[in-house]
Amino acid sequence: MERSYLKTVIMYCVKELQGQRTIYSILHLLNGKKSSQTIQDAHLFQLTPLFRTFGSLSRDVLDQLAQELVSSCWMAPTDEKHFILTSEGQEELGRSLLECPIPSSLNGWLYHSAGDLFWERITLLIQVISHLNNNNVKYLPIQRKRDVHEWLKYFLRTSGFARNEVGVVLNRELCQCLERLSDINPAVLTLRLTGYNRIGLTAVQTSEQLGISHDYYHHQFLGAIHHILASVKENPAEYPLIDKLVSGTGNEVQLTLSAQKTYTLLKQGLNLDVIAKTRNLKKSTIEDHVVEIALNDSGFNITSYVSEKKQKLILQAANSADSLQLKQIRQMVPESDYFEIRLVMAKLGEGQ
Amino acid sequence: MRLEAVLQSKFGYPAFRPGQKEIIESVLSGRNTVAMLPTGTGKSLCYQLPGYVIEGQVIIISPLLSLMQDQAEQLMMNGEKKVIAFNSFLTSAEKKQALIHLNQYKFIFISPEMLYYESVLSQLKKLRIALFVVDEAHCISQWGYDFRPDYLKLGEVRKIIGNPVTLALTATATSEVKGDIKKSLGILDDCSEFIYSVDRPNIALSVERLDNFREKTERLVELAEILKGPGIIYFSSKKKAEQSAELLRDKGAKRVMAYHGGMDQESRILVQQQFIHGQLDLICATSAFGMGINKDNIRYVIHFHMPLQIESYLQEIGRAGRDGKQSIAIMLYSPGDEQLPIQLAESELPDKAQIDWIMEWVEENPNAIPNIGLFEEQIKQRSGLTDVQWRIFNDFFDRKSKSGLDYRRILQDMKGYYEGRIKLKRDSIEEVYKWIHKKTCRRENILSYFDEGKNASVPSCCDICGLQLGNFTRNTNSDNQESPLYDWKNHLEYLLIPSE
Repeated sequence: MERSYLKTVIMYCVKELQGQRTIYSILHLLNGKKSSQTIQDAHLFQLTPLFRTFGSLSRDVLDQLAQELVSSCWMAPTDEKHFILTSEGQEELGRSLLECPIPSSLNGWLYHSAGDLFWERITLLIQVISHLNNNNVKYLPIQRKRDVHEWLKYFLRTSGFARNEVGVVLNRELCQCLERLSDINPAVLTLRLTGYNRIGLTAVQTSEQLGISHDYYHHQFLGAIHHILASVKENPAEYPLIDKLVSGTGNEVQLTLSAQKTYTLLKQGLNLDVIAKTRNLKKSTIEDHVVEIALNDSGFNITSYVSEKKQKLILQAANSADSLQLKQIRQMVPESDYFEIRLVMAKLGEGQ
Repeated sequence: MRLEAVLQSKFGYPAFRPGQKEIIESVLSGRNTVAMLPTGTGKSLCYQLPGYVIEGQVIIISPLLSLMQDQAEQLMMNGEKKVIAFNSFLTSAEKKQALIHLNQYKFIFISPEMLYYESVLSQLKKLRIALFVVDEAHCISQWGYDFRPDYLKLGEVRKIIGNPVTLALTATATSEVKGDIKKSLGILDDCSEFIYSVDRPNIALSVERLDNFREKTERLVELAEILKGPGIIYFSSKKKAEQSAELLRDKGAKRVMAYHGGMDQESRILVQQQFIHGQLDLICATSAFGMGINKDNIRYVIHFHMPLQIESYLQEIGRAGRDGKQSIAIMLYSPGDEQLPIQLAESELPDKAQIDWIMEWVEENPNAIPNIGLFEEQIKQRSGLTDVQWRIFNDFFDRKSKSGLDYRRILQDMKGYYEGRIKLKRDSIEEVYKWIHKKTCRRENILSYFDEGKNASVPSCCDICGLQLGNFTRNTNSDNQESPLYDWKNHLEYLLIPSE
């Protein structure tokens, strides 16, 4: 399989990580591993758009691609698991990104879970509308999940749009939304749609028809979905029907289960030591959870854990440091501990 | 009520296919019925239609989840809402819900393992069962190529639920297997039998011998190029199916896709539907493809690998020519091909040494016996069982230990049982091998395997009787049509806006 685009993505990550994380942190990022470390790194190095955008990438494949990048002299190891780009690599990355830019609308962190459900719903809805329009009741639904079917019945009953109106409105909203895609051909989505007498293409077929690699296609497809979700979020009044399709797709704060429990206890006013004791966990684990919460919930106030004065010092250090390594910042602000630095960095990543 | 009228109004068919009406009349008159109808001639109608004529529920026991799902969906597509597929696809909440409301359904599909649950049986007892259908009834027989231990329980289940009128359906069964079906279901002295020939005269049979794998591949490319589609090519591995589809596309055949169980569900549905709607001409498939597919005009089926039994071969080629028009089945054979199915068959079952290792483990851990399923990891580690082997082992052990057998005895039985199964499978492969190598009419040889004789003359019978491949090739190369330029807005409009 042609994987040059995936290599570009890996090189891009390597560049952003500046040799400060192992190559496997890229695997975790692209797989969308829900661990505090991966989530923090994604924010710290501004790689959140790529979160869970290659969910099925395996370690073996990553190893092999990394090997190929080293053989091409685009990437060099600094030790067994750490890599940096060579200057040729930097140039190559620039060239590749010009040719195949990472879709600007891609936002895996925000939309990875909503995207799947949205796609299941909209494909089934379009199929149903198309068959209704042609008065055909005999067809196999393109989505088999029971809850998606249940949702559709509910939607058709309660959407507030007349049956014959839904298609017209959806067509208008989709056209309007997809026309605004700047760097993606809307066909990446529409070719896959199924309706009366016309079955949609699979992902592989679509990428072949459009003449792009499977990997690049995959990112463009996600980019187009994320574009729709972002447009609706930004301006729900403009897309009233799609807004209804999106509702309840789990677009809200995403925490690991364990962090959720910690958050619940925090909200009850317990302090970290008590939480660690009640949950029978190490305090450092609870601290990881707090950092994860800070990353996820923009309303979360960190001042009760780091004084404002310290926050300022840490920020200054982070801005003047030539790397985002916590160790270096710690040396510059010796009165702070790692937990405090990570908390401030979590909020820093958010601002960018 | 005239059955033809129901056929027309509920299913939209003007006339019955051979056998259907006789079988339906038999069950409607309250007789237990064993029916053998060849693949592709509408078996499921034999229980669907009676459901619309008689009061009460139709229970259908079906061995394969995917098949059951397909059959239930076909009914729903036909506008029937009172259908449920009661199997492990349901969540436990959904199962509970379904059990409570079981009497509200008309067609209840159940997988045999569900019948182990007391809660399921007791609900079934409360129903007014109009018809008890055992689909793929050959699975009941230990002689059958497709024996399912869960099916052994069906006779008992039938008694528990009050001996309802029973319909046992199968496409292929030797006389031995037919006897087993009747005995197990307890209808030996009380049933009507409708046996229709397994023969499908409109499907020509051909075996092509090639020297080696490379030649087989070349011939495959050639056949795909010249034969008149739509067609299916069967492979015994996902990888080979995938590679071949790619190879054929590289050679210029655009409308070819692979289909196998390793694909995600959305892609599987799409490829299947594209094929049915004529957007694809050719599918490179594993045996996962074809069950429950209603496509009348498949013109050829090619087997790239040797099938495991005559029975499954008939099932697969039976997907061709359902419209009754001339079609062809081609098997590509090169020397040594029989090794692969033998390996497949043997690797599926635990061998003697593995059972001995398990025996040692059980002796060290006697407490594990009542809940052997919980020790999957340890037992696998000790004995090196694969996932499939483990499942087979676990089923067997569980069933026997529930009936109170000592573990030594169970493991001893197991060895004998597996030896028997492997021998059976080797024999089945041997039958296919012999069939390939015989120099006499292929149709006659298949029919005699099922104790049937050949009907008069079949025009395009087989490669031995003489066959013109030219009758099955396409005239013009219609592949070169340029598809019109794609416009996404037009497509959306086509899908969403009602045409005037």
